[in-house]
Amino acid sequence: SLMGMFLTLLWSPGMIRLTGPRPAGYVNLLTTVLGFLHCLLAFPAVWHQPPLLINVLWLDVANLQLTIPIEISALTIGAAMLVTGLNVLAQIYAIGYLEMDWGWARFFAFLALFEAGMCALVLCNSLFFSYIVLEILTLGTYLLVGFWLNQSLVVTGARDAFLTKRVGDLFLLMGVLALYPLAGTWDFTVLGEWAQTTELAPATATLLGLALIAGPMGKCAQFPLHLWLDEAMEGPAPSTILRNSVVVATGAWVLIRLEPVLALSPVALNTMIAIGAVTAIGGTLISIAQIDIKRSLSYTVSAYMGLIFIAVATHHTAAALLLILSHALAQGLLTMSTGSIILNTITQDLTLMGGLWSRRPISGICFLVGVAGLIGLPPLGGFWALNKLASGLWETHPWLVPVLLLVNGLTAVSMMREFGLIFAGQPTQMTERSPENGWLVTLPMMVLMGLTLHLPLILQRLELLPSWAALNKDVALLLLWSSAMGCFIGGLLYVGQRVSKPIQLPLPGLQALFANDMYTPQLYRSTIVFGVASLSRIVDWFDRFIIDGVVNLVGFASLISGEALRYSNTGQGQFYLLTITLASVAIAFLVGWTFLSPFPLLP
Amino acid sequence: MQLEYFLLLAAALFCIGIYGLVTSRNAIRVLMSIELLLNAVNLNLLAFSNYLDPAGIKGQVFGVFVITIAAAESAVGLAIVLSIYRNRDTVDMEQFNLLKW
Repeated sequence: SLMGMFLTLLWSPGMIRLTGPRPAGYVNLLTTVLGFLHCLLAFPAVWHQPPLLINVLWLDVANLQLTIPIEISALTIGAAMLVTGLNVLAQIYAIGYLEMDWGWARFFAFLALFEAGMCALVLCNSLFFSYIVLEILTLGTYLLVGFWLNQSLVVTGARDAFLTKRVGDLFLLMGVLALYPLAGTWDFTVLGEWAQTTELAPATATLLGLALIAGPMGKCAQFPLHLWLDEAMEGPAPSTILRNSVVVATGAWVLIRLEPVLALSPVALNTMIAIGAVTAIGGTLISIAQIDIKRSLSYTVSAYMGLIFIAVATHHTAAALLLILSHALAQGLLTMSTGSIILNTITQDLTLMGGLWSRRPISGICFLVGVAGLIGLPPLGGFWALNKLASGLWETHPWLVPVLLLVNGLTAVSMMREFGLIFAGQPTQMTERSPENGWLVTLPMMVLMGLTLHLPLILQRLELLPSWAALNKDVALLLLWSSAMGCFIGGLLYVGQRVSKPIQLPLPGLQALFANDMYTPQLYRSTIVFGVASLSRIVDWFDRFIIDGVVNLVGFASLISGEALRYSNTGQGQFYLLTITLASVAIAFLVGWTFLSPFPLLP
Repeated sequence: MQLEYFLLLAAALFCIGIYGLVTSRNAIRVLMSIELLLNAVNLNLLAFSNYLDPAGIKGQVFGVFVITIAAAESAVGLAIVLSIYRNRDTVDMEQFNLLKW
């Protein structure tokens, strides 16, 4: 319980708002470092210990008791360590990167909100509170992507990021709410036990599974809810580090925790495999066709999250967690390196870059290490993660192994292409004078490179690597071959100078298709956006004309009747006399009627 | 000779009077129509007094009063018409519509 109390300290950065721009960053960095150190200290304490569960009562109404269960295990502390550690690095990076920016207080407050949210997400053991935190993170994404809000593309990007993730989250909420009457709990551990024994109708299980997938699908930028990640690249680079490496993994985290529930429905699992495979292959293909340095990376993130979807759908949660870890480090490193390039090359256009290797060796090496850590290249982390996944798939779903190999190879091509376009070749006008950045930007990058390089050693110390005997050597070799082929092709085309740039595919339509993200914006606009917009216009029209019209008609009718009836006041005395006479006759007739009929006056 | 005939005659006279009252455009004719109405009333009073109350003849007393009041009323009416005529130079009833709408 003492530990839980300390861990809540991580929330504190979110409270800090200081007037000057710089102290905000320093204070935030300090609290983050404290949080990281605390996680570091806590990790050995919980290693090889059973998970410690703490329940905090949040709300107790009628017969619903909402407790916040906090799970303190090696896994959650490890995840919190990853989150805080990457935050430390990203914040040091941001201090260097946002040198010329006034909005530090806002920026670091958002970063702190993210850090707190992600720590809360990994520590909390309840689906309901995970959902709450996911929503808070969605709002955080909106704010952080919309950081430089005087740019129009930033505004549209933030809008799309918010709405797309909200759609997923709302479906997740449906699933969360539907789960409670079925399972009677939102506690992940209890849910797991429940899923083992329950016998659910297949249709219910399918719908439940699909709704629970939809949330992470939006969060992890999976097809078809992937456009937001592309547009979220309008945000500041340091936040992109976090987004690429950690934030998108929040959806995957929830997905992994929900794996026992999802396993109830084979349809949901197949859907996940399909979504993951489509996103993985599509994402890598799109990333190869991008000319924006940041967007090219963002599609790789989508692709790797697709691999995590596949891993979860085939019950390889351990492989998924390992993949998240290795991907977070490698992708963070890649984003830091490209951010460092962008910071003093100004342009983000890959076609305007080149020849930076001799002048920017550190950024270049960091990029290469990031690539090596991302794809399956032994002995780095990505290899072990992908290998674990591939050998697991080999036994259960062999037809998915080629997908994995293809994605791995295409990622290698994409990354080598990016490397070749940035670092190889002749310097262009934009990269003629490009110095290496100051220590604030370079130091976190190099530390992260060290972490990526040491990841296998760390894993070995923690006994997470498979022994040599247990290694599926065929799969490992295939993986190695796919990476090597990808690197070779990418290197041949882009690092080597034999082929003229820019490369045109024999099918220009296909190239345009991938370069334009399979026309997803147009797809959204012509389907969902068009439908909702038309419907809103119809409803607005209905409200304006029918509903308002009926009410206004009453007023109008009284007005008109007043206008018309006043002509009965003719101003003629004789007309009034006539009216009086006729009215008297009518009244007499009415009054006399009852007397006339039973007692006729005339015989 | 029955009571009903007198009553019907009086009612017919009343109707003619109402008709004249409502339709005539000359103010004097309107006053004359009012006299017709009053005469129709008188006829009623006398007929009832003769047939239903031959001993008390209260109706005839009422009739005398009605004739008196009718005379006074037409005097006042003619005076009003005269004063309107002096102001507006006409006795056309359709011209006296200050309160139109």
